[in-house]
Amino acid sequence: MKPAPPLLLLLPALVLLPVVVLLPAASHGGGWELIASFATAALQPSLEPAVLESQLRGLAITCGVALVSWAASLLIGLALGAASSQVVVLHLLGRSWPADLLARLLALPRSIHELIWGLLLLQLIGLEPAVAVAAITIPYAALVARVVRDQLDALPRQSLEALSSAGAGAPAALWTALGPPVLPGLLSYGGYRLECALRSATLLGVFGLGGLGNDLLLSLQSLQFRELWSGLWLLLAVMLPLEALIARLRAHWSMPARLKLVPGAPAEPVGRQGRQMLAALGGVLMLALACALWLGINPVQLLHWQPLPPLAPGGWQQALQLNWPALIANTLLLTLLAAGLAVGSGPLLLLVAAPWRWGRALLQLIWMLARLWPPPLSALLLLFVLKPGVLPAALALGFHNLGILGRLLNEAIGSASPSAEQALSASGTGPRLALLYGRFSGVARSYLAYGAYRSDVMLRETVVVGLVGSTGLGSQLRESLAAFAWQQIALLLVAYALLTLVGEDLSDRFRRQLLGGTSP
Amino acid sequence: MSAPALLELRRVVVAGRDHPRLAGIDLTLRPGERVALLGPSGAGKSTLLAVANGLLSPDQGTVLWQGETPARRGGRRRRQQRCIGTLWQDLRLIEELTVQQNLNTGRLASWGWPRAVLNLLVPLETQACSQVLTRLDLDPGLLNQPVSALSGGQRQRVALGRLLRQDPQLLLADEPLASLDPRLAAELLALLLDAGATPRALLLSLHRPDLLKGFDRAIGLRAGAVVFDLPAEQLQQDRLDALYASAP
Repeated sequence: MKPAPPLLLLLPALVLLPVVVLLPAASHGGGWELIASFATAALQPSLEPAVLESQLRGLAITCGVALVSWAASLLIGLALGAASSQVVVLHLLGRSWPADLLARLLALPRSIHELIWGLLLLQLIGLEPAVAVAAITIPYAALVARVVRDQLDALPRQSLEALSSAGAGAPAALWTALGPPVLPGLLSYGGYRLECALRSATLLGVFGLGGLGNDLLLSLQSLQFRELWSGLWLLLAVMLPLEALIARLRAHWSMPARLKLVPGAPAEPVGRQGRQMLAALGGVLMLALACALWLGINPVQLLHWQPLPPLAPGGWQQALQLNWPALIANTLLLTLLAAGLAVGSGPLLLLVAAPWRWGRALLQLIWMLARLWPPPLSALLLLFVLKPGVLPAALALGFHNLGILGRLLNEAIGSASPSAEQALSASGTGPRLALLYGRFSGVARSYLAYGAYRSDVMLRETVVVGLVGSTGLGSQLRESLAAFAWQQIALLLVAYALLTLVGEDLSDRFRRQLLGGTSP
Repeated sequence: MSAPALLELRRVVVAGRDHPRLAGIDLTLRPGERVALLGPSGAGKSTLLAVANGLLSPDQGTVLWQGETPARRGGRRRRQQRCIGTLWQDLRLIEELTVQQNLNTGRLASWGWPRAVLNLLVPLETQACSQVLTRLDLDPGLLNQPVSALSGGQRQRVALGRLLRQDPQLLLADEPLASLDPRLAAELLALLLDAGATPRALLLSLHRPDLLKGFDRAIGLRAGAVVFDLPAEQLQQDRLDALYASAP
């Protein structure tokens, strides 16, 4: 008994069964009037000039931090990616082990979420403008480096060897042979990272690192839902055109779609459009530089460390006595629930909405709000009606990632051929079954492969909701950070990094297996 | 008294960019009739078939299915559509599914959700599927193969097998013999004529007039209008020459 691809797509949604069963027990019985006033406030956002002015300033800071950290991570990531690429290092130095060593070292900054970097740097350096930028840049640069390395090493090497044997110098041969084919895929990925950077900058704001996120948190905590919604609509007003612009550029420059951006799959070279792309990239980097000057970001700030409290005696002993099995099990449970909700709900909701013409548009609106809405704020909102624990944290994390995966699924379905679905409809099959058989079949493997990648991102993100949802390693990390228990913090970070690396490896294997099984 | 019409088109017009794709077509199709649609490229054959299978609504005129206007949506429309089967030029098989699952998609319109989902999990109605393959001169051992692993000829037959599983009253086929070698085209046509025999009806667009044997009627289309509608054996070469003369 082997489920066919369209059915595979629906399997993650099985996680909804235990969630629905557990939900009544997790509810504390009150708070629905707050949820209702939150929902009604969506249509009556605050238009008070003082509120809007503060939020616009916060939004500008968030956008600035996002742009600067994105630009820095792209430049550093490109350099680190080239330096950790076997083909590049082999050609320059004649041996490839330095590249492998660097790639292994980069796994560490990559495995730790930007929020943890932010909180650590906040403790070490204090509230400086450079802290939020560095917090995003460190893991993002390592992520970009990995993609650059994967793409460079997956390219065919014949043209490089031909240039080298014709006597071209190593740097010139590398640039000529590898630059043009790798550029479109990298810029497409870069565009996606800019959207992520905006979300990350908002999130860091929620945890006190400046920008609109902070305004949103304060509005939620003081139950000023109309103010909260005006901030959210403002954020949407930036995020939507940004997503549309990036999608347009991707289409204009024939860049690979994100669903196809998998390790080992080099992009199609574009050739003469390369100059246009580089010019656009140069323009954005100049804008980022202007933002850095406006925000007063000075990398030197990162070198001025505050004196730390001394290590507590017996701290290691106490750190080892933490309930590690429960912390890790809760974190994994949280990831599995959130991943099942995020990956499985999209296809299920599309099927439910299939007969109605407005159904897909409504889902798109909900998904847009979901990816915009920082998960800790969703978790706080859920705490109005649910008891703290794994469930509200998983719902918050799952909802946010559903926004990202749902959009991707919608894009994939929109670009898939409608012919099989049409044929089924023409023979009297209902709209839901026609969608399930006709369109889901073609996108199932690549969507699930992306879902696997997103699941390992969710494992990293558990810290974000753990910090408010009282569950897993994240909530313990918050307590340890508040108590300056550095030994506990160190061990928690190691545990997080190990879990993330194991998760990344598992999701890579799963992805390769899925895509390897694709029909030719 | 002749049998009531399965499909009736009255003064059907489908607008086009420069000239109408269908310019006031009248057509009646009764059970047991096997009709070939002839005409040069752009004559409106595919448009006529799209109107017949409900994929396209005419801008003017009336379409009647068994004497009733086709429903726009809902259960009645699905029941009507279930009686119309189309063999598409590009076959429209689902590459990721097995031969058996593809054959069973012909039954989806009659099945409920549980059965449709089960079809994606375990082999269903194996005996009926094997019989269809045998009738199409295919090895029943192919049932578990993914359709992506089949040859071109085998894929054509599986697409026809899906129609047989659907068991419609009207079979439509849009240039099903294009891009097939002569032997394969003759074999597939024989299967289609057999499948489209009484009590069913067959409407097939054809780009090769030499394959008209076995059809009851031949309809010539040119610039969206019917040029002739004759018993197939009465069709003379001069009518064909005029039909395919340099396009307007």
